Amino acid sequence: MNHEEHIINTIHTTFKSAEAEIQRKGRLLIRLRSDLLPAFVSYLKNYLDFNHLVMISCVDWMEDNQFELVYHLYSYAQKVHAMVKVRLNRSQPQAQTILPFWDQAGTYEREIHEMYGVYFEGHPDLSEFILEDWDDIPPMRRDFKTREFVNENYEWRKGREDAQDVRRTISERYDEKLPQFNNDDKANG
Amino acid sequence: MKEDWGREAGNIISNWARKHSLWVLAYGTGCGAIEIPPTMTSRYDAERFGISGMATPRQADVLLITGYLSVKTLKRVIRSYEQMQAPKYVIGFGSCTINGGMYWDSYNTVKRLDDYLPVDVFINGCMPRPEAVIDGFVKLQELIASKKANGWIRYQENLDWYRANQKKVIKNWNMPDYNW
Repeated sequence: MNHEEHIINTIHTTFKSAEAEIQRKGRLLIRLRSDLLPAFVSYLKNYLDFNHLVMISCVDWMEDNQFELVYHLYSYAQKVHAMVKVRLNRSQPQAQTILPFWDQAGTYEREIHEMYGVYFEGHPDLSEFILEDWDDIPPMRRDFKTREFVNENYEWRKGREDAQDVRRTISERYDEKLPQFNNDDKANG
Repeated sequence: MKEDWGREAGNIISNWARKHSLWVLAYGTGCGAIEIPPTMTSRYDAERFGISGMATPRQADVLLITGYLSVKTLKRVIRSYEQMQAPKYVIGFGSCTINGGMYWDSYNTVKRLDDYLPVDVFINGCMPRPEAVIDGFVKLQELIASKKANGWIRYQENLDWYRANQKKVIKNWNMPDYNW
């Protein structure tokens, strides 16, 4: 029995509802109910030696009306990377903080709160982080219309409307020879 | 007539002095600030042209906007610019200041710097090489010598227009309103 299977068996003895799979050697994917999350990452950290929180990211599954939080953990002792995925209700996204286990989780959670509007229960400071005076919906949500927002708030400079290859325009304007690059065929289809 | 001649001569002399002591405010926005150390140090040695770094806005002549400006940074840049002593010049550096560059549809970066600050010289490129930066400074020196680098006068005269643009993107304007 290799490392990964051993880890999965150990997980299943305690967390029976966790769905774990081996993606490839050294990489585990674990799906979990969101209310079990703090207990589960604490178990991984203290019991299975996953002592490095690599990052926390968030995915917007708008069609399913869900947010997905992805916790990347790494174990230096076993050289295994575990991705823990939990799904949250998108209309009222709420998760529990894992700040007691890793201090750096606070920064990620603060950013996810700002960019997606996920509320982390138990986080001491979810104030504004990167943005300033933002009063629209959180900008990384997929129903945030970036182009409309830009059109409303900023002035375009002329010349950017048609995303064309400007080299041709420039060569015509200044009567220069257009260089033939090797990847031109690919770019034009 | 005699007075005008005296003022003219004084202008020529002071502009000549100004163009040879361009002190740049050490304020890096965006990724372009990485091109400034090679420009300033021995290989390209911008100090030959009198271009030197300066620590505080009140001592600086040139505000170099090195790259994209998020709304949050724009607020600080305006504050720094208004603290600078006239005559003061703004150089827009990189394509981000011209039309947004690769952040052309970003929700949090301004697209046209000249809507918010009076830009005297634009340096295009992403990133401009140190040669291009020095070329832009030389262009600025020419403009100063020919009395065309008058962005700060433009800013004072059209302050309402600039202020309206600035307040359109900066929602919470909790800065002092200068009145020249």
